[in-house]
Amino acid sequence: MNAIDATKVSKQYSSTTALDRVDLTVEEGETFGFLGPNGAGKSTFINILLDFAKPSDGQVEIFGADCQRNGVEARERVGVLPEGYSVIERLTGRQHIEYAIRSKDAHGTNPLDILDRVGIRDAADRKASGYSKGMAQRLVLGMALVGEPDLLLLDEPSTGLDPNGAAEMRQILREENERGATIFFSSHILEQVEAVCDRVGILQNGELVAVDTIEGLRESMGGGTKLVLTLDELHDSMLTEIEGIDGVETVASLGDSTIEVTCTNDAKMDIVVALHEAGIEVMNFKTEEASLEDMFIEYTGSRGR
Amino acid sequence: MNWQLIARKDFIDTANQRSTRVLLSLVAMATLLAGYIYPLTVSEEAATTTATFSTYAVGWLTTLVPLVGVLLGYASVVSERESGSLLLKLSLPISREDVLVGKYVSRTGLLTATIVGSLAIAGWLVVYPFGTLDLLPFVGFVVLTALFGAIWTGIGMAVSLLVSTKRRALVLGVTVFFLLVIVWDTVVNALALALEGLGITDGELPDPLQFVVGLEPGRLFRRITEGFVDPNATVDGAWYLSEWIALVLFVVWLVGPLGLAYLRFSGVDLS
Repeated sequence: MNAIDATKVSKQYSSTTALDRVDLTVEEGETFGFLGPNGAGKSTFINILLDFAKPSDGQVEIFGADCQRNGVEARERVGVLPEGYSVIERLTGRQHIEYAIRSKDAHGTNPLDILDRVGIRDAADRKASGYSKGMAQRLVLGMALVGEPDLLLLDEPSTGLDPNGAAEMRQILREENERGATIFFSSHILEQVEAVCDRVGILQNGELVAVDTIEGLRESMGGGTKLVLTLDELHDSMLTEIEGIDGVETVASLGDSTIEVTCTNDAKMDIVVALHEAGIEVMNFKTEEASLEDMFIEYTGSRGR
Repeated sequence: MNWQLIARKDFIDTANQRSTRVLLSLVAMATLLAGYIYPLTVSEEAATTTATFSTYAVGWLTTLVPLVGVLLGYASVVSERESGSLLLKLSLPISREDVLVGKYVSRTGLLTATIVGSLAIAGWLVVYPFGTLDLLPFVGFVVLTALFGAIWTGIGMAVSLLVSTKRRALVLGVTVFFLLVIVWDTVVNALALALEGLGITDGELPDPLQFVVGLEPGRLFRRITEGFVDPNATVDGAWYLSEWIALVLFVVWLVGPLGLAYLRFSGVDLS
């Protein structure tokens, strides 16, 4: 059984299409990153999963339970960190966790253990309405962890967290995945997705433009590679010369006789050889794989227009 | 079903609010005052019974209970919807229905407890020292009053389900209260005067028209009390003006507004 099964999900607002026939399957046990710029429809999709919003067309299931008709059943096995929430008035951090424990019948869970895990044990007995955004995110992540859910559904989980906090969040997600939980989270911050995800889906203007592993995405883009070359000397005329070599896509000077060349994967050695033949001495040489960010810009930039 | 979780939390929160306490003590004081004054209004004190007290008490309650009910209900769901804590709760295995049922139980529970408690003391004030206790009719009256409170708390909550901001809920709730409680009576009185002035009627509205103006919950409450509880009062007119029909309409008010509002709320996008 799949953790998430979306079939032709569309969401139409009066004049705009927030989601356009999204088909998506997330398998049990994987970590899936849902990527896209702000306003691409990520939250709309997650809100439909949570039944905060009704799809105009299509249907979504979580572990086989229809999110609209059997929402409670669907959410019983899910830990959620939604977007646009606020904490519950007059409850302390500890009471929030207890609230989640009661709602999920997860008796036997110690609230303090959870708070310890998300790093806000010290604030356990303070009213959560006084928490910072980052602490609230930690708290709600804690609520999501209650009852060892089979699926974690997180909408922009690192919002409000400092880099340290974001790293801790990723660590928790890794641990949960190792325990056997499926992770589905949305983000517009690419390095976070790159760091933990098995697969990613890229959403652009309500359309799912790509779903693949990160390696798969790299390959589908022709294995774009970046070369950083340090030369013995650099003249402006050399840039145009290098640009003329077969396989080179872009050339940019980084100063200090260092240039950055993007090219197809196969062309790497050809370029170095060609430079040598042209009498340009290569002092240092390093390759970088195209980062997810490059791919992301490629997808959302070129196809979105 | 997780409505108990919602109910428990809502009960504690609502009971601890100063505004709730003020509203509920208004109801309690009015009820007690009615119980205190009623024996003084009856010329022969031995004739006072808890059953005849009922019609008198209705007059004290038909304005206050609707106001308190609406004010108890109007913010119940919409304030959490506006702040976003509703989304956090609905992220858990809690349904929209759980939220509605939990809050309805908690808030009608508070009003019912107040009504039952204060009517019990008011009843004792009526009985002591010269009155008589007519237990069964009086219990019936207490139940009716509690249902009347539940109708108006339900109307308040229906308002809370229909709009997306607390401010709009307050405006809509107070408007409904004014139309059905304050304006209604004024219009009905003006209508009766006008028809009499034109020589069409002799002061009493014709039966079909009485049925229409009698659809208002407070008037149904009075008719049911007169028909079932107070031995001194009678309900006359066409069959559709009987206390039985009034009871049916009372139940319609109890489930109708909240039911319809929930139907809409269950399909609305919250985010």
